Amino acid sequence: MFLEVKNIVKSFGSEQIIKELNFTLNAQNTMSILGKSGCGKTSMLKIIGGLLSPDAGEIILNGINVANQSPKHRKIVYLYQEDLLFPHLNVFENIAFGLRLKKLPENEIIQKVNSIIASLELEDQSGKMPHQLSGGQRQRVSFGRAIIINPALLLLDEPFGSLDAGTRQRMQELFKKLTKEFDITSLFVTHDLKEAILMGDQIAFMQKGRLKVYQDKTEFINDKETGVQDEIGFWDGLKSKETISKH
Amino acid sequence: MKFNWKPYILTLIVLLILFPFVYMVLLSLASEWRFPDLLPSYFGLRNWLKIIGSETGLLHSFLISVSISLSVATVSTLSGFFISRSVSYHPKKRVLTLLTYFPYILAPVVFAACLSYFFLRMGLFGNATGVIVAQFMITFPYALIFFSSFWNQRTKNLEDLVATLGGNQLQTFFKMLFPIAKGMLLICFFQTFLISWFEYGLTSIIGVGKVQTLTIKVFLFIKEANFYYGALSCCLLIFPPVVLLYLNKRYVFNKLV
Repeated sequence: MFLEVKNIVKSFGSEQIIKELNFTLNAQNTMSILGKSGCGKTSMLKIIGGLLSPDAGEIILNGINVANQSPKHRKIVYLYQEDLLFPHLNVFENIAFGLRLKKLPENEIIQKVNSIIASLELEDQSGKMPHQLSGGQRQRVSFGRAIIINPALLLLDEPFGSLDAGTRQRMQELFKKLTKEFDITSLFVTHDLKEAILMGDQIAFMQKGRLKVYQDKTEFINDKETGVQDEIGFWDGLKSKETISKH
Repeated sequence: MKFNWKPYILTLIVLLILFPFVYMVLLSLASEWRFPDLLPSYFGLRNWLKIIGSETGLLHSFLISVSISLSVATVSTLSGFFISRSVSYHPKKRVLTLLTYFPYILAPVVFAACLSYFFLRMGLFGNATGVIVAQFMITFPYALIFFSSFWNQRTKNLEDLVATLGGNQLQTFFKMLFPIAKGMLLICFFQTFLISWFEYGLTSIIGVGKVQTLTIKVFLFIKEANFYYGALSCCLLIFPPVVLLYLNKRYVFNKLV
């Protein structure tokens, strides 16, 4: 397995936020993690990314236990719901940021950034400052900045949460395309049922600090806890009401 | 047609505001201007030339003031920036922030009187280093409070992002934090420079008359009733802040808006 998370536990004071977190993920796969606000999703991602220390447990990435490594050595990029573009840099420099930290040669940086910009369909925007971009464009730049450094694992914390429905759909399609193109392994946290089903090769559900990983999408859909059945019931009810009123 | 008084009133207000400054410059160029003479008996650069000759010690005071204020502004801005980060991310942030207001509970003169024993024991009484330390005790909390709004959850997230992108602490500061905070750093430098530049109470007690900054000198001339030199030292007192204000307006405020 590419990613193995074993027995991770985290408490804040007397409250246990993460309870015995265990799961595995294959390389180049995406695991969707569904859960309500405050269930521990963000804490889990931050622990895997090295931004929070776990009280116990192991995180094995590509055969190496990274639980005690600092974030900069893990090659795991954490993406927030907010795009967090650097306001003093234009699109090109925002995407190039990680490469400049590595002090790569200028020619290589230009070539890599231009290639990513083309993949993100942002050719006309490279000289623009973040405040001149739309929400969707900003989120694309944020992706590009993460992908360009070729991370071992990408952690996405409700990345499309602040986008409107249309832009959100386009971003989901773009993300699927990019994960294939750049062989990305990722954990995709969302509170949107449809998004969880669409984005993940694997699906998990988090509730009160416990993570349940499903064998397949059918098991996820059939589990009453996830709320999928309620959703189906709602739409079916609406449909039958409409049919009755027509008759 | 209705007569428009607005431009005339506006001109009058501008003239009233500018008059004290223009009069101060004129006074610095005059000497032996006694009542009921309408014009001074001498009008020229004699007073200003005396400064260059250091006869009155004004040039020396100007240089001391510039050195003290630049040191205080630089040290307090930089240390305030770094330490406010630690304070803002500290679990006991509220208590620590409350403590930063402590120097402002007392008037600077009373504050200096309370501290004078310690300054005396440390050999900081009556020298420029002592004045810098004393003024720092006022400007540093100001810088801490000033930067506390910068260190919020968004900045923390940006720092974390740089770390996950592979950046170390030094790169986080130089490639992200300093450029983002550039405007705030310059404004804080400007403000702390002004606090130090116009500081009188602390400087007079800790400096015990041996450290004669321009502000101290202005008061001395006023006490001596030498208003020509008083006006001249006021001109010198206002000149650096005006330059800083211009630079701030030209390079900072316009970019922030």
